[in-house]
Amino acid sequence: MSPTAALRRKAAAYPTLAVGVIIVTIVLLITLTSPWLAPFPPMSATPDVEAPPPDLIDVPGLLARAILGRLDKPVHWFGTDASGLDIFSRVLTAPRTDLVIAISANAISMVSGTLIGLLCGFYRGWLSELVMRISDLLQSFPVLISGMILVTLAGRNAGNIILALGLLYTPIYVRLARVETLSQRSRGYVEASRAIGLREIAIAARHVLPNALAPSLIQASVMVGFGILMTAGLSFVGAGVRPPTPEWGLMIAGGVDDMIQGVWWPSVFPGVAISLTVFGFASLGNGLERVYAR
Amino acid sequence: MPDDAVRVTEAVVSARDLTIAYPVDGKNIVALRDFTLAIQPGEIVGLIGEAACGKTTAAVAMLGLLRPPGRVLSGSVTIDGQDVFTLNREALRALRGRDVGLIVQSPRGALNPLLPIGRQIATVYRAHNKVTRREAHDHAIAMLRQVGINDPERRFHAFPHEISGGMAQRVLIAIALSSHPRLLVADEPTSGLDVTIQADFLDRMWRTIRAAGSAVLLVTQDLGVIANYCDRLLVMQDGAVVEESPVAAFFRGPQHPYSRSILLMQAERGAGAIEAPPADTPPLVSIRGLFKRYTLRRTRAVLQAVGGVYLDIRPGETLGLVGESGSGKTTVGRCILGLEKTDEGELVYRETKIDMRQGLPRALRPKMQIVFQDPFDSLDPRWTVNDLLAEPLGLHTSLRGEARQARIAELLTLVGLERTTATARPRMLSAGQQQRVGIARALACEPELIVLDEPTSALAPAARTAIILLLRALQQRLGIAYLFISHDLATVKHLSHRVAVMYLSQIVEQGDRDQIFSQPRHPYTRALLAAHLDTDPTRRRPDHPPAIRLEGEIPSPVDLPPGCYLAGRCPVALPRCAAEKQDLRVFETGRLVRCWRASEADLFPAEIDP
Amino acid sequence: MGTRFRFVARRIVIGLIQLIGLVLAVFFLIRLMPADPAARLVGMNASPEALAAARHSLGLDRPIAIQLAGYLGFLGEPGLLQGNLGKSWSSGAPIVTEIKQTLPITLELITLSFTGAFLVAFPIGTLCATRPGGWADKGTFVFSLFAGSQPEFWWGVLFIYIFFYLLNVAPPPLGRLDPLGSPPAVVTGFITIDSLLAWNFVALADGLHHLMLPVATKVFVLSGPMIKMIRQNMVRALGSDYILYAESCGLPPRMIARYALRNSLAPALTLIGVLYGYVLGGAVLIETIFSLGGIGQYSVGAVLNFDYPAIQGVVLVITAVSLVVYLALDIAQVLLDPRVAG
Repeated sequence: MSPTAALRRKAAAYPTLAVGVIIVTIVLLITLTSPWLAPFPPMSATPDVEAPPPDLIDVPGLLARAILGRLDKPVHWFGTDASGLDIFSRVLTAPRTDLVIAISANAISMVSGTLIGLLCGFYRGWLSELVMRISDLLQSFPVLISGMILVTLAGRNAGNIILALGLLYTPIYVRLARVETLSQRSRGYVEASRAIGLREIAIAARHVLPNALAPSLIQASVMVGFGILMTAGLSFVGAGVRPPTPEWGLMIAGGVDDMIQGVWWPSVFPGVAISLTVFGFASLGNGLERVYAR
Repeated sequence: MPDDAVRVTEAVVSARDLTIAYPVDGKNIVALRDFTLAIQPGEIVGLIGEAACGKTTAAVAMLGLLRPPGRVLSGSVTIDGQDVFTLNREALRALRGRDVGLIVQSPRGALNPLLPIGRQIATVYRAHNKVTRREAHDHAIAMLRQVGINDPERRFHAFPHEISGGMAQRVLIAIALSSHPRLLVADEPTSGLDVTIQADFLDRMWRTIRAAGSAVLLVTQDLGVIANYCDRLLVMQDGAVVEESPVAAFFRGPQHPYSRSILLMQAERGAGAIEAPPADTPPLVSIRGLFKRYTLRRTRAVLQAVGGVYLDIRPGETLGLVGESGSGKTTVGRCILGLEKTDEGELVYRETKIDMRQGLPRALRPKMQIVFQDPFDSLDPRWTVNDLLAEPLGLHTSLRGEARQARIAELLTLVGLERTTATARPRMLSAGQQQRVGIARALACEPELIVLDEPTSALAPAARTAIILLLRALQQRLGIAYLFISHDLATVKHLSHRVAVMYLSQIVEQGDRDQIFSQPRHPYTRALLAAHLDTDPTRRRPDHPPAIRLEGEIPSPVDLPPGCYLAGRCPVALPRCAAEKQDLRVFETGRLVRCWRASEADLFPAEIDP
Repeated sequence: MGTRFRFVARRIVIGLIQLIGLVLAVFFLIRLMPADPAARLVGMNASPEALAAARHSLGLDRPIAIQLAGYLGFLGEPGLLQGNLGKSWSSGAPIVTEIKQTLPITLELITLSFTGAFLVAFPIGTLCATRPGGWADKGTFVFSLFAGSQPEFWWGVLFIYIFFYLLNVAPPPLGRLDPLGSPPAVVTGFITIDSLLAWNFVALADGLHHLMLPVATKVFVLSGPMIKMIRQNMVRALGSDYILYAESCGLPPRMIARYALRNSLAPALTLIGVLYGYVLGGAVLIETIFSLGGIGQYSVGAVLNFDYPAIQGVVLVITAVSLVVYLALDIAQVLLDPRVAG
């Protein structure tokens, strides 16, 4: 069977995986190439203030001319906001903030959470019980509010958001890794390895860890999506990144007052972007779950 | 032929060309094809086949039931002339409660986990009879007593997860009894039950059926059950019936190649005996005074899993270790390999003495290996067979690269697997193949002793026989000693040179295979052997009820009594038995029995012939 | 019954310990933050003397143990144990009072949202469970995956645009009630309950009208995971052995339905607990958009104003409420399912 046919078969079998992979790949590509894709510099104001996007009828024509390179001046595909910033460019550039924060935060929490969870699952004892209680307590704090507090008090920048989310998401991975480790420990092949004569550390590293990691990786996909929502949410209420950094939540917040008066484009387009992106990550996570459960 | 036509109209239940499918992702997967069967009152029909052959679908369909999302594509089932799939709900409901009964494979799964068992019996009774709550309650208690559950007033309030499998199965009989069923469908009712409990259950079921004159459909994989209890049998494969015949004729000579393969396996098992090492050979491994206790967290009671076991295993011989739940046989095997912490015990390997509390020294590990009960669980699902076999080779040999690959290929051939299996992952292999990989892995360490912990219990009968034959061949070829732990007496008989029988943490009898199987002396051994079902339809158990039978449930080895542990259930117990601690005594050369009455000549009454 | 009772008792004790741990954690974590509350109080350009004076007035120059004792109320002034959370720096009002005003608003929003989501998710989830793999099921699956991953603050804004600006069906997002109307007397703090108690149906209608969009937004997002979970539980229950067996015994269909329901309820509680924490956080955003004045909005104000006592109070109260909810859910689960304790 040719590779494309095999790929198509796999895509049909796991539609959510296919959709997720496609969307996430597109978003990643945009993140990497936005400096070249954006028609305007995202943080410089243009003289067109609150300009609406082009009418739908004109779009195909404009698109064709854009591709052929025959536009006399760049188009505000998504319109501009109250400060004259081009929304299209900002929507394309925003993932450099949102996605980077979400992925970095999850990387931190996954690594530390999984390690702690693994150790707690392996070594039962009062210390591991204590660690689990602390993790539970940390997890019962409301994430958004705690995130607001941490970021505002420590200073509103991307780095602090990463640290705050990294901290707040760690208990989730701790619990996941611990449950998996406990379950793996009583599996037959762990005993079989022991019977062959493998040392405990080798068993943990070679058998338990790889099997316990898989659910964490699946969860990570969904959690990156949540991280984006959280970053956007924090910025929306004013406890996230500072303007004029292009960030989807910030852009939506900036357009709220406009919305109520009928100027819909500053908020709608970034919202669509978040909506599709997080859906893509959720879909990817669901797809991975299906594949793993097979 | 006219006779047959008349008989069919008298049949209690009749399925005709029934085809059932399950929609999966839009496509219909046919589980049952053109199923036709009529059962007369008082007739017991057996249904046999591998897993997923459609037998459960057929069985519950006879009651007009479909596990969702199943769908009837064609055909019909009539009970007493009424088509159950087109009957209106109320009539169907009344029919079900009154005239049919169902017994399922996992009885605790059949009971509602949130309600006490007594209430469930009462609820069913009240659904079909106009009685008050009080009357239903009393009825339930009477039923519990009738099925042999002690202390029924207290047990009434127990939840399904608090009772044993055997007890749950009795509850299901109690519910079936309440309705005097004209049709009883039993789907693998005894799989997972201990031998003596199984015998007890089948006897009770038999009495129930005979009293009510029910028509019975008995689904099972156990040929012993079929031979002893069924009049007729159907063989199924991939959703279709491939053979139907009276039981006696079937065991004499089946027609269909698939049926023949099942029976052939049975016959082949007995052929050929292996030579035992001479009696005075020094043992390879000896266990002395092995004790293992658990302290229960909640009640602080002490559970004695192993209570003083002494075993000798000679090089190249198979010692069969037999017992039911709670006997401690699995724990013994695990303690030997250091997979469980031992409380007391000494292991002597050749001349070296080892304190078992320290576990097994790493130097000895390659010499003593284990094959587990669940073949899939014992293999890391992410590794290929090649990796799984390379692991022990890397630890215990200096083979690398080409030489290692060659050895892996050699091992695969040794256990009867294709060389191409090396690239497969466990999920792609059948249970039998997975178990062979487990055996190959054990062999990779070049052991002198392999502990086989119920290696065939999780396998279908055909695979079971194949593995037994493989183990025999390997022993003949490589001279490895086996500690064969099992509850299946037939396989123990065909593989072992010597046998030890365990009950509630102790060895109660030990001796040569032939001694134990033809002349058991301990009451428990006798009962165990009597409970075993032979595949001989000419000598059926209901017609030749065994002389010895154990009452009640197998107790848990918690807070064991001071005297003989069997005293509470033993049919020939005397006051002295309960008071005095029983030791293993030498009965004759090489034979040990833990019963002071064993030497009495006419201890057990002769078998009753009707 | 005995094992269950013991389980419940132990769980309550654990809950109390958690509350104590929470109080200590909040106290110490706030003080571990890099920002200096005293600097916030007097401004960034204050003189060192003013700064020192500010620190003294806040009690920040005392040893930590004394600060903790003061916070808890052991030093004569009323503290936590007397129900005092201090005074807000922005408004000067006692924080307990402000929380008492704002918390019920949020609870009302959450309760209505959960109820609404359940009313939507239950029939849909159950229906899909009866026909798994069908078109309705697949469509619902996509919907629930989509809905569960949406930014609710954006949908709130979108709903305002569509239903207020375009369709003029909803009121402007300026609070819980029409500013020109007369609110009912505050008894519980719940608009719906208070209006009913005062027989003020105008206020009831107005309140519900204003809550319409916020609740709809939350219901939309919540329904995603809820549908998925209900469907999953139902499928498992319907396909289970005991349902099949109950049918074979000829039990009445209503009883069988009750069995299936009760059995899927226990695992449902676990997810409600998880969702609850998620919803509580999300309330912040919705309240802010619609100016509802709940504790979420209050906390945003407190954080942006660096109002330390208010921040401390809010975190304490919200987390304590979460812990109590989890405790209640755990106990309910044990009472429903005897296997949990055993």
